[in-house]
Amino acid sequence: MHISKLTLVNYRNFANTQLVFKEGVNTIIGENGSGKTNVFRAIRLLLDDSLLRFAYKLDERDFFRGIGDWRGHWIIISLEFEKISQDESIQSLFLHGTGNIMSGAVTRATYNLIFRPKYEIRLALSELAEGDQAGLAKIRNEITIEHYEAIFTGKSEADFNDGEVYKTIVGDFDAVKFNEELNFSEIGSKIPGILSVAKEISFTFVQALRDVISEFQNNRTNPLLTLLKSKSGEIDPLVFQPIADLVNGLNTSIEALDDVQEIRNDITSTIKDAAGETYSPTSLSIKSDLSDEADKLFQSLKLFVGESEQGHEGPIHELSLGGANLIYLTLKLLEFKYQKAKQSFANFLLIEEPEAHIHTHIQKTLFDRLNFADTQIIYSTHSTHISEVSNVENINILGKHHGKCEAYQPSVGMSPTDIRNVQRYLDAVRSNLLFAKSVVLVEGDAEEILIPAMIKKVLGVSLDELGISLINIRSTGFKNVAVLFHDFRIRKKCGIITDLDAAIIDTTPVPADFEALKSYKLKCLASQTAGIARKGILEAFEHGNPWVKTFFADHTFEVDFIKSGNAAQVVATIPEVYTDSATITRAKNDIESGDIARYGKRVLRMAAQEGKGWFAILLSKQIDHQTVIPDYILDAIFFSYPSVSNEVWVNILNYRLRCIQGAAAIPSPEIVEFRTKLRAFKSGTMTFEEIRNAMLATFAADKINDILGSF
Amino acid sequence: MFVWDANDLNEEQADAIQKVGSVFLVACPGSGKTRTLTYKIAYELSKITSNKKFVIAITYTHRAADEIHERVENLGVDTSQLWIGTIHSFCLEWIIKPYFIYHQSLKNGYRVIDSHDKDKLLESLCEPYKHQKITIWDCEYYFSKEGYVLTCPELGKHASLQKIFAEYFQALHDAKQIDFELILWYSHQLISTVPAISELLSNLFSYILIDEYQDTKDIQYDIVCSILKAGQGATSTFVVGDPNQSIYESLGGYAIEPTLFGQMANIELVLLELSQNYRSTVRLVDYFGNYNFFDTTIVASSDERHYPSLITFDSTVTKDTLPDEIVRLIKYNVEVKGIAPNEICVLCPQWVPLASMTRQLVAKLPSYSFDGPGMAPFGRDMDNFWYKLSKIALTEPSPLMYVRRIRWAADVLRDLEDAGADVTRISKKSLLRECNSIVLAEPDGLIYLRAFFEILCDRLDIPIASHLTLKDHYEAFFASAEARVKLLIQQGSDSLGTVVNFRKVFQARRGVTLSTIHGVKGGEFDTVIAFALLDGMVPHFRAPKQEESAKKLLYVICSRARKNLHLISESSRKRGYSYYTPTEALKQCQFTYDD
Repeated sequence: MHISKLTLVNYRNFANTQLVFKEGVNTIIGENGSGKTNVFRAIRLLLDDSLLRFAYKLDERDFFRGIGDWRGHWIIISLEFEKISQDESIQSLFLHGTGNIMSGAVTRATYNLIFRPKYEIRLALSELAEGDQAGLAKIRNEITIEHYEAIFTGKSEADFNDGEVYKTIVGDFDAVKFNEELNFSEIGSKIPGILSVAKEISFTFVQALRDVISEFQNNRTNPLLTLLKSKSGEIDPLVFQPIADLVNGLNTSIEALDDVQEIRNDITSTIKDAAGETYSPTSLSIKSDLSDEADKLFQSLKLFVGESEQGHEGPIHELSLGGANLIYLTLKLLEFKYQKAKQSFANFLLIEEPEAHIHTHIQKTLFDRLNFADTQIIYSTHSTHISEVSNVENINILGKHHGKCEAYQPSVGMSPTDIRNVQRYLDAVRSNLLFAKSVVLVEGDAEEILIPAMIKKVLGVSLDELGISLINIRSTGFKNVAVLFHDFRIRKKCGIITDLDAAIIDTTPVPADFEALKSYKLKCLASQTAGIARKGILEAFEHGNPWVKTFFADHTFEVDFIKSGNAAQVVATIPEVYTDSATITRAKNDIESGDIARYGKRVLRMAAQEGKGWFAILLSKQIDHQTVIPDYILDAIFFSYPSVSNEVWVNILNYRLRCIQGAAAIPSPEIVEFRTKLRAFKSGTMTFEEIRNAMLATFAADKINDILGSF
Repeated sequence: MFVWDANDLNEEQADAIQKVGSVFLVACPGSGKTRTLTYKIAYELSKITSNKKFVIAITYTHRAADEIHERVENLGVDTSQLWIGTIHSFCLEWIIKPYFIYHQSLKNGYRVIDSHDKDKLLESLCEPYKHQKITIWDCEYYFSKEGYVLTCPELGKHASLQKIFAEYFQALHDAKQIDFELILWYSHQLISTVPAISELLSNLFSYILIDEYQDTKDIQYDIVCSILKAGQGATSTFVVGDPNQSIYESLGGYAIEPTLFGQMANIELVLLELSQNYRSTVRLVDYFGNYNFFDTTIVASSDERHYPSLITFDSTVTKDTLPDEIVRLIKYNVEVKGIAPNEICVLCPQWVPLASMTRQLVAKLPSYSFDGPGMAPFGRDMDNFWYKLSKIALTEPSPLMYVRRIRWAADVLRDLEDAGADVTRISKKSLLRECNSIVLAEPDGLIYLRAFFEILCDRLDIPIASHLTLKDHYEAFFASAEARVKLLIQQGSDSLGTVVNFRKVFQARRGVTLSTIHGVKGGEFDTVIAFALLDGMVPHFRAPKQEESAKKLLYVICSRARKNLHLISESSRKRGYSYYTPTEALKQCQFTYDD
């Protein structure tokens, strides 16, 4: 049996989301603050015995904040299990409470924690007339968290992710529409009192921790003691008796020490001297209190580990942090193995950010091997090292959108071939695209080097700050990766930048063409034809998918770079490409010719001579704030990053002002005045349109205006 | 493993308990049936090692369930894997509550109607048929596998009754309510349409024990057998009872043939008997042997089996002199024979003559106390939530009562939760603590209970009005109790309405017991006095097999007595235009009665 689905409704930073799990190892990927810890907490509320009591103590802070007024709403945490067996009697109690019966047989199980208003509130809501806003407000005003109850149900059929289902069962608060019916079989029946799900299964949670040494020093959290405790109960009394005898002998010997007896006598006589015979205790002794009970004796056992070559074994706190973490994780895994040996029918191991425990180089090995039979492992991570070894089909990605977190399953609905391709790609180039807020895909080194440089120099903010990951596919096989971005899968924007490879010369053959020109024309024509074909394929691919869009350079990146008005930047690189002065002059003339056939051919020749990557590095040194970013690149950036926040605009405009001021020690009056306006914009007293128009009017020549103007 | 002292059980009993697999046990009266059942439960519980296996014991009454539960606990066995209760509670707890969502009529919620409300509903539905003389007394019914069965013997009324019941079921359906018979009906439907239920349950039950099988209905046999059958031999059963004591046939109860039971459950059954009667004297055993319809073996084995039993039969006393005669018999037994009053039981086949006899005896014997029908100020419906709570409200905390009160508290909590109240902050102990801390000086029983409930609900933060089940039960409980207290006060004295009298409901019996024959089930007394043993009453004129039915009733009456038995077929009781005559089977019995 394994968890197949986790549904979260109105819980913490999740408005309504679903995570899908498979048998074996599962990964939850997400940046910080995307809700990984809350996902684990939700699972633990239902399955972790030690957290069960908190399930009854949810409060207003557990409601999804974006819901606004939480009063009246429900929190639903729902787990679905698959691969269950109705015939195994070990599962019967669990299925008696949770098994969903379909056409006479149990095929899956559901187990839900529902935190909802108590009956009297639900009754009052159900009696509201449709649209009775005042009535609703009155009821809600009286609701406190004391009016809430937590119930556990099983056998639910409702799809809690469906907003309409929520409205039917809980109600529509905007329209004030509440169902007269108060009982919904869809939410399932209450878990019978005889069933404690947490006790039926084995469940271990390994927390991401920062201070493993103190965990070891704390008796309650020390994983070694937990292991020993589980063993101390099994010790054969016959084997232990001689040890207990030795301890008792030891106690007697210590007590009998002359020095100890002397102190005892001194205490007794001093009391008598001080308090007198009448008020003194009648007897007094010093006893050695070494326990002869196994579990207490075991508490004195400590782990010693040798890390260095010399064979010296030291206590945990002498270990390197990485070493201590590895030991900690190992002991927790062993604890899980012990628990699993208790023969529960389902085993769950949740590991929070294993990268917090171990060095990156061990991570890969560990998770390749971490595969217990009959065990479902779910770990969360923000390490690309771990996610690259996990199967894309077993991944949930958490993302944050407008303050609410959502989960995506990157491989939903993909064909096995597609999955294989993506998997291969992820394995090869690291999986950081799974972590990005949005993605721009490019085909080569030139784009990878120059686009970030242009953005940084022109806008003053980096792609990272905008949350865009630029990913170099190193070919035009965009589809293999872009397929991940889809309504069903990762709901993040993915812009694609590629070349259309339109010919820069007239390719019509003329009889007078000599051989070299003939073949050049043919080559250009072939590229052009291929480009048109590629365009057709990409446009068909992205059709109807709002998450993916392709942006084309008319010709080739380098050519379009000049075409956009950056001839000067290219010219500046010529001395680094050519040494022969005649060639330098020719090249300069070509680049500045304004004839695409000439500058195109020249720049491509230069790039070919230096290697595209190296030429891009040369070029990147010349990029400054006056560089013109080609439109198709800007379009791709702003497709992936559609809503530029005011804060980012403030940063951009401030940067531009600094550029305009340049080396001048004293800012011009225009700059001073504009800075005042910018402060007004920042504080919200000025709108974006006003600041934009001000910028356009004041600094009409600035390059940023081309970009500003299009917003 | 649970072991017992060799003296605890005789060979037959020990044999039945240790037999591996399923057992069908016919137990004669006084043969230690309950003891055997108790030890069997303890024995099977001690064999359970997993918290996923349960021993299920189905008893005929709540009282029997409570008693057996307590006795198992007193044997020192962990009872956490024991579930014991009536077949109705069983169906509710194990079938309806977990699986109601799979029944079209239950899926949108259900409440169990209080029997007082049920009566009121039926009364109002009978109203339009007054001219046909149809009253609520004609409305007794039960469910068989095929559907509901009217028990009214007057077939002429059936057409109208069917209309009444159509309306009755519709009214329940509209109000999302179910009565006790519907619990069985819906459970049976769930079990037969959703096979997974039987399969899951059979995996959970290591044993299903059935007490008093002779009073079990076919629908109940069917439910239990479906589960046993699904277990394919992994779930065993232990069926106990006495076919001779099958006196609920008019309500559909019957003693199934063991082989048929085995076939329905598809299991091997071992047939065993408990034949040693430890209750009655040789003379009594000989006597009630005359009514042994199924020819079971009975051997008088009591230590006092040679006590010189008095067995009398009086058919000369008239209806009018009957009370004096019964007074004489009571006094004789107490004063001459030295029998304690609480060891005397007066039996009558029917409710109405018994109630009138009770009133006359109370008046004629002011120095005696009586426990009889209508003597209790409330408590007609033991499944009423407020009845359950009043058990705690009207008993004092004491170490002796602790285990029992904790169990009642658990019951109350479960009902609260089922009613939809939030009980996460209440535990059994905290509930008891709250109850114990309520001290009221109010002398009037009803006012006391109302105040008690109000304070408690306030402290537990459970508004009665917002939970339909609690509200329904509350109104029904007080409506029924008020009517009864009013009647009691009219007929007797004001003291019957006091808290002191209310508390007696839950105290051990101290006076002479008055009971119907059906109500005395399982009881035993030193002296039994039975009257109205008249043809038409014993057996009931509606009963199908007159002679068999009469014998079974006589068998039950006579086998209750340890020492003395007084049978009375009073003359001059009017029956239509003539008079009742003594029961035929009694008349024909050849026996040398005492004078």
